[in-house]
Amino acid sequence: MLRVSAMTTAREVDLQAINGDPESAAVGIEFGVELMRFAEAVATGDGNALPGARHDLLGAAGPAVLVDAAGVAANFQRMVRIADATGIPVDDMKASLGRDVRRELGIARFASARNSIAT
Amino acid sequence: MFDYSSSPYPVRGDIAAAHRAYWRTLARPGSWWTGVERVAIAAESRNAPLCRLCAARKAALTPAGIAGEHAGKHDLPDVAVDAIHRIVTDPGRMTEQYVDGNVAAGLPKASYVELVGIVVAVFSIDEFHRALGLDLELLPEPEPGSVSRYRPAMVREDVGFVPMVPPDGSVGKEADLWPPGRTANVVRALSLVPDAVRDWRALAAAQYLSFAGMQNFVKDEERSINRMQMELVAGRVSAVNECFY
Repeated sequence: MLRVSAMTTAREVDLQAINGDPESAAVGIEFGVELMRFAEAVATGDGNALPGARHDLLGAAGPAVLVDAAGVAANFQRMVRIADATGIPVDDMKASLGRDVRRELGIARFASARNSIAT
Repeated sequence: MFDYSSSPYPVRGDIAAAHRAYWRTLARPGSWWTGVERVAIAAESRNAPLCRLCAARKAALTPAGIAGEHAGKHDLPDVAVDAIHRIVTDPGRMTEQYVDGNVAAGLPKASYVELVGIVVAVFSIDEFHRALGLDLELLPEPEPGSVSRYRPAMVREDVGFVPMVPPDGSVGKEADLWPPGRTANVVRALSLVPDAVRDWRALAAAQYLSFAGMQNFVKDEERSINRMQMELVAGRVSAVNECFY
């Protein structure tokens, strides 16, 4: 979806932001580094990292962005668990855009890839 | 309930309304679990992040090889407690064999699907609070009543671990689940219990985007972050969770 959004808006992004690379997160996305670190702190449940990440995002982008980012992070903490707990496969493994993105991110290493990739 | 007026950050009214609406739904009898049981499932989901057994399993190459007892006081069957903890702490390694084994152990798939829906909704609302440094909301008082035992007329074992309404099955009593024709597997995933999909949609519409909003890849006017910013957050959360989907 990040790739689709970037293509729609004709913006350059670096997908390695998804893998946690701060330099990549800074490419083409306003407050990208702060958003990425906040998302990471929420998802890891790291009680030491979260206050700092929250403070940094709040300082850089303001409270409305912080709240909306918290909503998205919380939503995807749910979505990943729905997908994994029900074992659903990727909807269209043959679509070239999705295939390219998965290759670029190297996510076939994830255990849950077995739900989409025949082994 | 979900009074965010004391929050240090202004929380949008639609988020508060969605959280309140879910809490009311949580307290009521569902399709396969009573109100008491649904609130017990919610309570158990809050034990999971503190569970030493789950932490040990998460760190192990073979989680099933680690024996022990889950943290907390349990008001549910062991098979349900274990499923709840795994959904919260190590969902990426759940398998069809595990879900099928739970059926044999007394957790039918329809009950499992409703349980998944409750766990992920409560966990998501709790995560919103943790993300903002807010106290967790007290769980609601369960309401009395009987389960509906409702099962959609059209369900199929096609993909995944559980039966689902097929992509073209949003008709009749399920007509509101998704637009006619086809939809993503993640929308269908909980459709064995249609109310779980309705809860899914309502929470997503507030915390992320509505179905209509998802078609806008630029920026939703009601949000302070654009779609690229949203998808960066979504993608990083998914990657940390090692979710291939």
